[in-house]
Amino acid sequence: MSQSAGRIQFPAGMSFTREYHAMLKIRNSRDFVGGVTMICVGLLFIWFGRELEVGNSFQMGPGYFPTMLSLLLMAIGALIVVQSLMVDAEAGDPETWNWKAYFLVILGPIGFGLALAGLGLAPTMLLLIVGVATASRYANWRHSILLGLFLAACSVLLFTKLLSLPVSAFGPWIPFIGELF
Amino acid sequence: MDIFSNLWLGASTAFMPMNLFYGFIGCLLGTAIGVLPGLGPTATIAMLLPITFGLPPESALIMLAGIFYGAQYGGSTTAILINLPGESSSVVTAIDGYQMARNGRAGAALATAALGSFFAGTVATILLAVAAPPLAAVALNFGPAEYFSLMVLGLVASVALASGSLLKAFAMIVFGLILGTVGTDVESGTPRYVFDIPELYDGLNFVAVSMGIFGICEILRNLEGEHERSVGVKRVTGLMLTRQDIKRIIAPVLRGTALGSFLGILPGGGAMLASFASYAMEKRISPNRAEFGKGAIEGVAAPESANNAGAQTSFIPMLTLGIPGNPVMALMVGAMIIQGITPGPNVISDEPALFWGMIVSMWSGNLMLVILNLPLIGLWVKMLTVPYHLLFPAIIGFCCIGAYSINNSVFDVFVMAGFSVIGFALSKMRFEPAPLLLGFILGPMLEENLRRAMLISQGDPSIFVRSPLSLSLLIFAVVVLALVLSPSISRKREEAFTE
Repeated sequence: MSQSAGRIQFPAGMSFTREYHAMLKIRNSRDFVGGVTMICVGLLFIWFGRELEVGNSFQMGPGYFPTMLSLLLMAIGALIVVQSLMVDAEAGDPETWNWKAYFLVILGPIGFGLALAGLGLAPTMLLLIVGVATASRYANWRHSILLGLFLAACSVLLFTKLLSLPVSAFGPWIPFIGELF
Repeated sequence: MDIFSNLWLGASTAFMPMNLFYGFIGCLLGTAIGVLPGLGPTATIAMLLPITFGLPPESALIMLAGIFYGAQYGGSTTAILINLPGESSSVVTAIDGYQMARNGRAGAALATAALGSFFAGTVATILLAVAAPPLAAVALNFGPAEYFSLMVLGLVASVALASGSLLKAFAMIVFGLILGTVGTDVESGTPRYVFDIPELYDGLNFVAVSMGIFGICEILRNLEGEHERSVGVKRVTGLMLTRQDIKRIIAPVLRGTALGSFLGILPGGGAMLASFASYAMEKRISPNRAEFGKGAIEGVAAPESANNAGAQTSFIPMLTLGIPGNPVMALMVGAMIIQGITPGPNVISDEPALFWGMIVSMWSGNLMLVILNLPLIGLWVKMLTVPYHLLFPAIIGFCCIGAYSINNSVFDVFVMAGFSVIGFALSKMRFEPAPLLLGFILGPMLEENLRRAMLISQGDPSIFVRSPLSLSLLIFAVVVLALVLSPSISRKREEAFTE
């Protein structure tokens, strides 16, 4: 009887020694990465703002506010890291990745920006639509090209004709048609 | 009576043919995006902002507001007909609304949603008209210290009422505040974080940033789990409610309106929280609670009234204090700044036609939405069948031209692309992008008021606690924070969002 009285009763399933050794295990890798990212963002802003004059609280320089915020962001990032070591991740939906879609959807606008001045609005729009449409697994070429032609025509009508944006329908890279417009 | 002359002024602005037209366009677009898959009001408003630059401020804001509350109506249509909420605020409507549709009562559910929303919209408009002027009058006496504390309270509360991790939401606010400092420092004229890029001297363009983190980023996430949706209900009949129905929805509509109006005013509240909370409340106190989940008409009436009331009263802090409570309001603040209007308590006295015009337009817009939604329901059912693989390329195309048209420069297109990557990386790490946008919009104002306050007090930070008003605002912020951190409330908060 005295044996059990002298022992501390832990709740079922809890073992102290193992818990202690596993203290520095990353329990929530998503949060761990997130916290580290926030610390890095803070460091980046401090580094790129190192020449800004910080000043003091009475005469705040241009660097005061961003530097204080960067330090705050790093502190929050550190807390997130600490939390990720202590608290287990909740079971959620498994992460799905679709690299083809990310690649196309992000490169689309960049390509649009690079080609706009040279190709003009109509061909750029057509290429953008057809290009990003292939990111979908339900896309088919006929639909994409029709949609691209339709949107190219609409955007030229709306933006270069009606709202007179300084961009021509066909740019200098397209020799013959470009001169007609 | 002052309020009547003000409303008269508002009516004469809102009922100008041009403003009626833009209000109608806004409601139409709002309903459409509510119905269309994978396109939310934040992304749409960001996308359409460049087009409104050329409009007069009244028309621009009336149209943008119409998109926002129009989306509340449209979102319920998809929730009821195909069990897919078009908007986050219609998630709970799908529970009972879809069951009603399966029982052949789709028409009654749609009519309940539309009429409940209309009633709630009317009440919220009156509330806005009555509550806004005195609130703005109080805020007129605010000095820099009070303004700083008010913004801190706004930011803290917006985090407290949102879903997800508090720490991460704070990280996003701070990140947004830092991004707001990019560009020329107003006080000293020193360029900050511009890397010798001339386009950055004016700061990051908030339209490009929000199109990236909301518009393009949403597409990236939607393409991950892409699936075609099927429309079960092809024809909707029986829009008339029976006397029995009307009897059952009166109390839920009233309760939903009251709760929604209150939650909408709180920063971070708005439509989504309102609908969740009112559904949870009805489920507990309704005499027909046994029917919930099996097609109870109360389960449609209450959240739909609440989300519309909440959507509309969330304009109160934005219009009177210049403090946006949710990302859509942040975009509205941005739209005002672009139109040359300084958001804040001065708007009512400096731009009475704009302020009262917007309020009256909300009521007329709600009326248009009832007409748009009930007789034209067939059109929206057709729109449900637009496949996403045709929709998203069009959104991307529109975002690209929109970003280009801000300054007629492709630089903003690259900013948009860059922020879509940042936003997507953040969402993969489960950081919500909404607080980032709030921080980004409030950053410059927060810094300016902080610096002015500290200059007044000669560097003594106690200025923030010496003014009673500023002190009470800060105490309120601490109380809100403490409440959220306390275990019992945080458990309730989880419940409210998971239910």
